[in-house]
Parts: sequence; structure tokens; C-alpha cells
Amino acid sequence: MVIPTLLGISLLIFGVTQLFDPIERASLYIRDPRQIRFVEEIIKKYGLDQPFYVQYFGWLSQVLQGNLGWSQSLHMPVLEALITRFPATAELVLYSAPLTIVLGIFLGKISAVKKDTVIDHVTRVMAIVGWSLPAFWLGIILMAVFYGGFGIFPPGRLSPWAEAMIRSGKFKAYTGLYTIDAILNLNGDVFIDALSHLVLPVITLTTINVALIMRVMRSSMLEQLGKTYIIAARARGLDSKTVIDKHATKNALIPVVTISGLLTAGMLSGMVITETVFEFKGVGYFAAHAATQLDIPAVLGFALFAGLIFVIANLIVDILYAYIDPRIRLR
Amino acid sequence: MKRLTLETLDNEELLSVKDLVVRFYTYEGIVKAVERANLKLRKGETLGIVGETGSGKSVTAFTIIALTPSPGRVEGGAVYFRRAQGDVVNIIKLKEVELLRIRGKEVSMIFQEPNAALDPLYRVGDQIAEAILSHRLPEILENVIKFVEGELRRGRSGFGARLELWAYRKMLENPKSAILAILRRIPIIKNLMTRRLKHVVREEIIELLKLMEIPDPERIIEAYPHELSGGMQQRIMIAIALACSPVLLLADEPTTNLDVTVQAQIIDLIMRLKNKLNMSIIYITHDMGVIAEISDRVAVMYAGNIVEVAPVKELFNNPLHPYTRALLESIPRPGSPFKSIPGTIPNLVNPPSGCRFHPRCPYVREACKLEVPELVKVSEDHYVACLLYDGEIYGKYGGHGRSEEILSDKRRNI
Ligand SMILES: Nc1ncnc2c1ncn2[C@@H]1O[C@H](COP(=O)(O)OP(=O)(O)OP(=O)(O)O)[C@@H](O)[C@H]1O
Ligand code: SF4
Ligand SMILES: [Mg+2]
Repeated sequence: MVIPTLLGISLLIFGVTQLFDPIERASLYIRDPRQIRFVEEIIKKYGLDQPFYVQYFGWLSQVLQGNLGWSQSLHMPVLEALITRFPATAELVLYSAPLTIVLGIFLGKISAVKKDTVIDHVTRVMAIVGWSLPAFWLGIILMAVFYGGFGIFPPGRLSPWAEAMIRSGKFKAYTGLYTIDAILNLNGDVFIDALSHLVLPVITLTTINVALIMRVMRSSMLEQLGKTYIIAARARGLDSKTVIDKHATKNALIPVVTISGLLTAGMLSGMVITETVFEFKGVGYFAAHAATQLDIPAVLGFALFAGLIFVIANLIVDILYAYIDPRIRLR
Repeated sequence: MKRLTLETLDNEELLSVKDLVVRFYTYEGIVKAVERANLKLRKGETLGIVGETGSGKSVTAFTIIALTPSPGRVEGGAVYFRRAQGDVVNIIKLKEVELLRIRGKEVSMIFQEPNAALDPLYRVGDQIAEAILSHRLPEILENVIKFVEGELRRGRSGFGARLELWAYRKMLENPKSAILAILRRIPIIKNLMTRRLKHVVREEIIELLKLMEIPDPERIIEAYPHELSGGMQQRIMIAIALACSPVLLLADEPTTNLDVTVQAQIIDLIMRLKNKLNMSIIYITHDMGVIAEISDRVAVMYAGNIVEVAPVKELFNNPLHPYTRALLESIPRPGSPFKSIPGTIPNLVNPPSGCRFHPRCPYVREACKLEVPELVKVSEDHYVACLLYDGEIYGKYGGHGRSEEILSDKRRNI
């Protein structure tokens, strides 16, 4: 299941490049108008005029060997760019995804249980407002207030002194996630510094995405609360807390698992706007950069990477499903 | 003719539903699902409730244990119930904490779709344990404590048993104890702390399942609901319902979705358990055959009203309400063509004025569209809500003798 999906994704991603003709693609490598005469040479050299399948298999075999091409805009191999940028994105996701998911589940559950009360209305309105705020706008406002106004929660990933500290020989980089590395190095100052850089982007991402989880949880919870097994559980004398927490919530979580997986995968494959606004140099930041520079190998590489993340996320969701739902375990 | 009055319960009565009004507030409007329904149930009696779909049978049953489904609201009336200690309470007015002591312990319910009534994510053993633990925990704890103390005296066990003993005493003393709540969050300690309790509860469940005539109970308690057949699921539901020996069982079409042979087995089981445990039963069904077989008295519901109540023999031999007669005539019989009741079930958002049956009633008169008939006693234990039998109102519209006409008419029919 995983392999065909990945092949399909790669075909689709590579196919898109064929929308450009060979001359357009070759000329992307020419920065200096005076060198335009080299176009023919480049087309020949990279086989850009070859039939699609020849180009595709050529590309694929390179990809399978771990060669995603050279990124013009980043001045390094695409794979290396991905590997060096990913920890920043992963660190952002490490905090925003669980926060979004837990908060969304909590709010969705409350508003379902308190359906049509003030609590329900307030929760839903707040979530929808958060959902409809543009990320760049919210990011800029937060930054203006906290960083501009109070001088706290700066952009970037680390302050210059901390940057110097982690580059010194005394700090060992285990994961590239600075907060985790700081804990592993028992370095409280770097930890606090890294965390303070995370606060605003995490708030932004959580505000914007929490409505997604909340809505799924709310409707799923409402559906479960109307089912016969809930009446049956109450009929045997269980109090409503047990009925809601033990029975309704667990059943309601099943669709939430899917949407949480998709959300996390979407975040891991790069949060273009948030990362750009906060100069948080992760996958999304560089994908945006590469795209504006028409850096095709880099864009292809990022797209493939996103595809891989989604496939893995799906796999994890399936495993979680089987863990929660005995009806699936059998198959 | 004396109007039916049911202010409180007399001695041999267990339950009385008095002028019950239940309405659902939906987007389409207010569904007047149950309108001034009256019922009473004697100790040890089986009362059948019949009526077409949508007549309010389930809503009435749910309301008896104060579980009216939302967006339904009880807008009037009372449900008097005699507690095990003998005091009479109005279920509608009870606080939730009181209700928790009644549901599953004194009044239980089984459902039309056992598959839907079990939580798919928990083993059936866990769901039976819930019923036992929510009502019988103190009693079971005392047994376990005695058991562990015995073990300790004989010097059989060490630290683990001491920990458990401490935990059980604490639980018995104060089930909401904070320290226990914290310890229970730690899986390993939780397991250590409740090993013998689990064992005792498991034994209880196995005993219960044997009572339900379930073969191989050790295997069944480990199963998830979807791994069991419909009949087995219903037996599990019955086990849950009867785990604490209730005095009243509400059975809402418990066999409708089962195979015919399984149906017979389940009905048989329920009736045998009823005698064993000395319960009363309210049995809801569409199946007049089942009603004839098991009930002592029958209540007929139509569009939210109880239209006739009578002992089972009397109802079949001497049906008075035009709807009851139509219902009995619609029973499929070998040799005679199936006759469905003419007309359609009314919409309960805008129910017909006066008698709700009047658009379909062959005996309808002007008075029927204006006056709401009430249940009146026509003979010992036989009540009917039809203007033809209500001399007072009937007289007001200048009619008389018509009920005689119907009665003779009926004799011709049957
Ligand atoms: N949750 C609900 N929301 C809105 N209306 C409801 C709800 N439950 C029941 N009703 C309405 O109340 C009326 C009585 O329903 P009820 O389920 O008691 O019928 P019933 O006699 O049990 O029918 P059946 O034989 O099909 O089980 C129906 O008109 C139904 O539409
Ligand atoms: S009251 Fe009138 S309409 Fe209603 S059942 Fe009796 S005769 Fe028919
Ligand atoms: Mg029903």
C-alpha cells in the first residue's frame, strides 16, 4: 500500500515539471542573460528533451539513491537542505500539534456536552474566529505586541549568544531540536531561550488550527452521545461523568485520530506562512524561498518529502485505529 | 363510570405513570410524543405495551427511568415508583444522585438492538462489571476483605495482599479518596491494588452468565460485542440489566431484531428469570402473539395516548377501543388476508384535535374532533379512552346508546 502510493505521488510531482518546456526548464539554470547560448547545451546534458518516461525513471533512480538534485537557491544538495531544515519544523510541530490536538479535543468535548449553552456558543465562536484569522496577520500582530511592545518572544530560533553556545564544542547536537538538545545537555539557559522563540509561532499555529480538531470532536461527540449504548450505560446506573469520559469520548476520538494525523502531517511538511513570518527557518521557510526562485529540484524534493510524511502519517493513523477500535483489530 | 385516579400507589402497586406529557423540541416543531399517558403496574406483573411505530412506547419507557432522550422534555405528570425500602418517589422530580441508585439497581432496561446498546470498544465483561461495581461495590469489597484477611491469617501472602487490604478498606471507607484516585492512575499499582477484587468480580460475572444460560462464560466475557451473535448480545444485555436483581425490567422490543428461534429462547429466558427474581416487567412489542403469551395486562398506545388497558384475555376477547380492534384485526392469520389499519399514523407536531384517532376511526362523530377522551373504567380492570364509552361527554353532545351499537357491532366482527 505504501510503495504504490509513494510511486503515484512521485509520478504526479514529476509530471508537473513537464508543464514547462525544456527551454524554460533549462533557462532556470542561467542567471546571466549573456549565457543564454548555453541553453541547448544544458538541455542535452540533462536530457530535458527526452521522452517523459526516460526522464522520470532517470530522476527516480537518482532519488532512490538519495540524490534529490542540487538546489540553486540554497546552494546545497536538496536532500541535505531537507535534513538540515527539518528539525526546526519538527520542533515547532512537537509543541503546536499536541497543543492543538489536546485543546481541540477538550473544547470540542465541552461544547458537545454543553450543547446550545453559552459555553458552547462562546467556544465555537472563538474557534471560528481563530480559524479565519490569516496566519501572517496574527503572526505580525503577536510579534508587534510581544516582541515590539515588551521585547519578549523574539523571532528566529535562538538568540545570537545561544546560537554561539550550541555551535561551541561543549554543546552536543543530538536531534537538532534545540529544546530537546538543551535538556539532554542539561543547559537551562538555552532551553529557556529556545522555548521563548517558540511561544509566538506555537500560539499562532494553535489558534489557527484548533477549530479544525474542535469541530470534528464536537460533531463526533454529539453523534456518540445520541447513541443507544450511551442510554444503556446510563440505564445501568453509571454517572454521567463516567458515561461521557469512558464511553462517549473514547468512541468520539476515532474520527479525531484521522484529522489529527492529517493536521500533524500537514504541519511537518512545512508551515510556509508561520515559518516565514517568524523567520523560523524550517522546511516551510525554505520551500517558500525555493519556490519564489523557481528552484525546481528543491520544489520537487520538498513535494516528495511532504508526500512521504503523509504516507507515514496514514500508516500511524491506521495503527492507532487498530489500537483504539477492536472492530478493526480483527482485519 | 368512575374516572381513573392514580394519586399515589396502593399496596400491591409498584409503578404508576400519571398524566405523563413528553414533548420533543425539534426544528420541525414540537413533537407531542406522549400526551397525558396513564399506566400502573402491580408487583410481579407483566404489562405489555403495544401500538404502531411512533406511538410513544419507547419514550414512555425511557421516561420511567428518567432518561428521556434529548431534545425531549417531560412537561407534565409524574412517575411514581415504590423503592425497595417501601417509600414512594416521583422519578420525574428525583435528583440525579438518587436516580443513580435506582437505575440498574431497582429498575433496568433492555433494548431493541443489543448490538447498538453495547459499547463497541469495551469487552462485554467490562460492561457487565460496570453494572455490578456501580451498585454492589461495598458488598463485594467486604467479601474481598474477608477473603484477604483469611489469606493473611494463614500466612499465605505477603506485601501484595497487605497493599490490597489497605486499598479495599480505604475504598470501602471513602470511595472518592484522593490518594486512591491518584494511585489508580498508575497502571502497575492499579493492577496490584485490585487483583483480588477483579478476581471476585470476574467470578460474579461468570455466575451471572451461567444464570443467563450462556455456554463457555469464561470465553464470552473476554469478547468484544461485535464478536457475538445478536442473541448472545441480548443475553449479555439481560445479564447487565439483572446483575443487581431489579424489581422492574423495562423490555423495549428485546427480540424484534433476532431470528425467530432465538426470539423464543430469549422470551423464555426473560420469563423464567422474572419468576426466579420476582420482578415486574413492562414488555414493549409489536407482536400480539408475544403479548398474548407473556403478559398479564396490556396497554394499547396510539399517537402518544394510552387508549385502552385491560387484562390480556379481556383485551383479546372484548376489545373496546376502535383502534384496539383495528390492531387485533390486522394480526396476520393463516387463511385470511392481511388487513392493515386504514389511514396513516398522524404527525405528532400537529396532532389531530380531540381524539387523535379520529381521522382513522370508523365510528368518528362530531364530538370526537372537539373533546379529548380520557381513560375511563368500563369494567373491573378494563379502561378505555374513547368518547363512545364516556357517558358524561357523550351526553353533552346529545348522543346516547351508540356505545351499545358498537359493542354489538364488534360481536358481529369477531
Ligand atoms: N430523539 C427524538 N427526537 C425527536 N423526536 C423523537 C425522538 N425520539 C422519539 N421521538 C418522537 O416521539 C414519538 C414517539 O417515539 P417512540 O420512539 O416512543 O415510538 P415507539 O412507539 O417506540 O415506536 P417504535 O415501535 O418504532 O419503536 C415519535 O413520533 C418520534 O418521532
Ligand atoms: S373517541 Fe371518537 S374518534 Fe376516538 S376512537 Fe372513540 S369513536 Fe373513534
Ligand atoms: Mg420504540
